[in-house]
Amino acid sequence: MNRNINIIVVEPSPLVSEGLAGILQKSEIQCQIAFKSSLEDIEQILAKKKYEIIIINPLLTFSNSKTFSGIITQFNLKSIGLIYAHFDPSHLQMFDATITVSDASSTIITTINKLLTELSQHGQNELKEALSKREIDVLKLLANGMSNKEIADKLYISTHTVITHRKNLSHKTGIKSVSGLTIYAVVQKLVSIETLSEL
Amino acid sequence: MYQTTNIYLTPDLKMSVVLLNNPYLLHLIEHFGINIPVYDKSVEVICQENNLSTALFLTFANLYNGVQYTPKTPLTYKDTQPIINYLKNNHKFYTEEIYPTILGTIKQMSDSNDHKEMALVPKFFVDYFSEVADHLNYENKVVFPYILDLYSRITNVANTRQQPEYSVKEYKEHHNDIEEKLNDFKSLLIKYLPYKEDRVLRRKLILSLFELEYDLNIHSQIEDLILIPLVAKMESHLHKSK
Repeated sequence: MNRNINIIVVEPSPLVSEGLAGILQKSEIQCQIAFKSSLEDIEQILAKKKYEIIIINPLLTFSNSKTFSGIITQFNLKSIGLIYAHFDPSHLQMFDATITVSDASSTIITTINKLLTELSQHGQNELKEALSKREIDVLKLLANGMSNKEIADKLYISTHTVITHRKNLSHKTGIKSVSGLTIYAVVQKLVSIETLSEL
Repeated sequence: MYQTTNIYLTPDLKMSVVLLNNPYLLHLIEHFGINIPVYDKSVEVICQENNLSTALFLTFANLYNGVQYTPKTPLTYKDTQPIINYLKNNHKFYTEEIYPTILGTIKQMSDSNDHKEMALVPKFFVDYFSEVADHLNYENKVVFPYILDLYSRITNVANTRQQPEYSVKEYKEHHNDIEEKLNDFKSLLIKYLPYKEDRVLRRKLILSLFELEYDLNIHSQIEDLILIPLVAKMESHLHKSK
């Protein structure tokens, strides 16, 4: 997993939140961490940037657990309860995972990595399902042997945009070469084998 | 290609242990002209019998096992010829053995599967391999003769011909990436191409593509990590002695 992850830590104690940040920075997880001491205004922060994980002290969710779960769904976050007191286990069920202050660094990292794996699998499934209409247009023309420039002219878009579509196509299908994408297009019945300009 | 537990190979190991641990090394010894059976002889003894530098053998063999090995006695200019012999044999193996085998499997597979799109598959592989063959040809015709010429000028100082314009740096640039299409092919076979009665052939094909990929990967590591640095050293040696 090479992508950069954004994590938000909601925890009033600087000792705990900075200690956690230190553990994350020393690990192989590439992440940027934002800190908040309460849930106040958190939506504004989440709206500005895509966060993958929220690590939060359960105390902060007690009084407004509905708001909290609303936020989780709205921003598609994985949640981790950050625990250093005794809580009723039923309250902790709302989290995808928990870490406690007595956990070893490696346990904390493993927990986070597990969630990241779930996230990336979920994300991939979503992506694979649909090529956008524009990507399909590009793919069809590509399969018919057109260059990026020709496709750009035909679709009234810039070559730069064509390249972006091609990158997304390769990312979604797992196929990079034009000849590979051509076969893919035929298999998906986006172009018919008879119309291919050269065989 | 499946990987057995990697063992770090040393001169005193028995050659049989080395081969039983990673049978793919049978290709390696074959390209070096070493025959089986190897009895209970050590790597070092086998290399001596075949007039091959043990350091060179172990450097290659460890690459196959996923280890970058630094031999106690570094490779020398003298190793140039055996390295090139090895690579030439490796090329032959690709063009005369791997390519016809894979193409045969592909043709059988598309014959037994009448989905229209299967007709595109043989052409895809033929095109892919012609790119590979261009690269191999370029090495055989341009790069290897150039390197052997360098070597003979180093060993025979009296012969001071004009240094050719070519340099190994160009080779590195020309050393283009042919992995992409191979990956695409694997993805198409595993993810997308419609299935019909071709399970056995397709499985064979996929596994042989992985094997080819593994071998090509080692092949380019040998060139990038071993041959090119050695040649760069020869070039600067000649340059200084001018």
